[in-house]
Amino acid sequence: MKLAFVVQRYGLEINGGAELHCRWVAEHMKKHAEVEVLTTKAVDYITWKNHFARDEEVVNGITVRRFPVTRARNPERFGRIQDRLLCHDHKEADELRWLNEEGPRAPGLIQFLKDNENSYDYFIFFSYRYYHSYWGIKTVPRQSILVPTAERDPVVGLGIFRDLFRTPRAIIYNSIEERKMINDVSGNGPVPGDVVGVGTEIPDCYSGETFRRQHNISGPYVLYLGRIDENKGCHRLFDYFIRFKRESGSEVKLVLAGSTVMQIPSHPDILYLGFLGDGEKFDALDGAELLIMPSFYESLSMVTLESWALGKPVLANALCDVLKGQCQRSNGGLYYETCPEFRESLGVLLSSPRLRRALGEDGRRYFEANYTWDVIEKKYLALLGRLEKDKSS
Amino acid sequence: MGQERIEIDYDHVDVRRIMDQIKEKVAAEAGGKPLASGGEAAPVSEPDFTGGQGRMRRVLLKLTSPFRPLIKLLILPVDEEHRRTVLILDHTNRRLDRLIAEVERDRRLTREYTKLLHHLCHNLVVEMSKLKIEVETLKTKTRVMEKDFEFLGKREKALEKEAFK
Repeated sequence: MKLAFVVQRYGLEINGGAELHCRWVAEHMKKHAEVEVLTTKAVDYITWKNHFARDEEVVNGITVRRFPVTRARNPERFGRIQDRLLCHDHKEADELRWLNEEGPRAPGLIQFLKDNENSYDYFIFFSYRYYHSYWGIKTVPRQSILVPTAERDPVVGLGIFRDLFRTPRAIIYNSIEERKMINDVSGNGPVPGDVVGVGTEIPDCYSGETFRRQHNISGPYVLYLGRIDENKGCHRLFDYFIRFKRESGSEVKLVLAGSTVMQIPSHPDILYLGFLGDGEKFDALDGAELLIMPSFYESLSMVTLESWALGKPVLANALCDVLKGQCQRSNGGLYYETCPEFRESLGVLLSSPRLRRALGEDGRRYFEANYTWDVIEKKYLALLGRLEKDKSS
Repeated sequence: MGQERIEIDYDHVDVRRIMDQIKEKVAAEAGGKPLASGGEAAPVSEPDFTGGQGRMRRVLLKLTSPFRPLIKLLILPVDEEHRRTVLILDHTNRRLDRLIAEVERDRRLTREYTKLLHHLCHNLVVEMSKLKIEVETLKTKTRVMEKDFEFLGKREKALEKEAFK
């Protein structure tokens, strides 16, 4: 069986989101099938400017075909178009214009799909909201599998996506909440699909003590891993944490790791460590009392799964239905909507090591039952087997 | 931090149960907090204008007795004014204490209402966002059903035509 993974960006330098999800799945599926990746030459997700010079290369044993982006995105113009689209009545043509602006516009990639339709058994498209998925699925509908990685943001309700979600041969969802949202928005119940998600690579050894020594951190700390951005709910996290410190007198510290696009408040107990590599990330998780996930929009949250894989509980934003659902299903973390709930939940977690251990253990069991690579691979293979069976019958 | 404890069954930890208790606790703290303690200020003792009973006082009174009518005549207006002023000040102090207590009570009440309103606004914004998506979903479903209905109508007509040919 020959599979093509189609994604907006691909490479070792892209270390998050749907792109990393795609790379990991592709690298694991190459054990079971012949795998290629079709992508663009872009690295920057804001402008989609061409970055890679070569049309074809091998990344971790997988052939990657890169197609040029013919027009870089103008973020200001895109913002204006999106605002107009979301706030006013509009036609399908306006939505398609928005999609063109959203990009990454790589007509060469779509032409390649058209020309090589029969060279592959299935095309697995990642991220529903980009140019490559919309036009790609329209080009090869009967061979396409969509991994939407959809969050609860307003563009999911656009008319063009209603049709898109009803077009592919199958859909692989990240969570039960994502499936429900897409089913509701598009009425695509009959399209075959499964909730799969993604596994994660856990290093053989990691040490919280090493991390503490390296960064000179003493005492308990809670950890936030990811982009430090208002869109990720960080402004509220800072506010709630500072109030928690003031009201409780706790000695806990908030350790932040990741790239930053917002001002971090100057507070003696808020420590920003910059971007951490994979190894250090797990050291940081190991040393933490718990992980905090303040994000409002998530389609899965890989870092939450990594925290559970290490037996660490999570304190998540309950206004993100995926995070709340994951906490309830796993029994691996508490959640908050308001500042008093944050204060109480964090207070309960910090004051009870036994509770943290119990939640962490439940989280670990949930991870092992649903998100180890064996399980993920089996789910992908089962879905592909089902499609093959349908095809032959 | 609240004083109530969250009960946790460590053998069967249940996130939902813990969260229910946390929500109840937060709601109780936000809504059921007692307001300012006691409306009245501490009582101020009535000034004693009757004078002491010492020997010195008696001697002095005896010595000054021949001049008493003159002294009385001289200090009467001042004494009257002094007594009146002390009474007024005492009354003002009592009123001020009462007013301060009332202001404090109102301030706490307003603070609680502000907190509640803040949460209410926040929750409304969240709910509105969810409802907007829900409306879009329902609109979509309606459109799909309209299309299906239209298609079925056409099919019905075509079948009727075939049947009555």
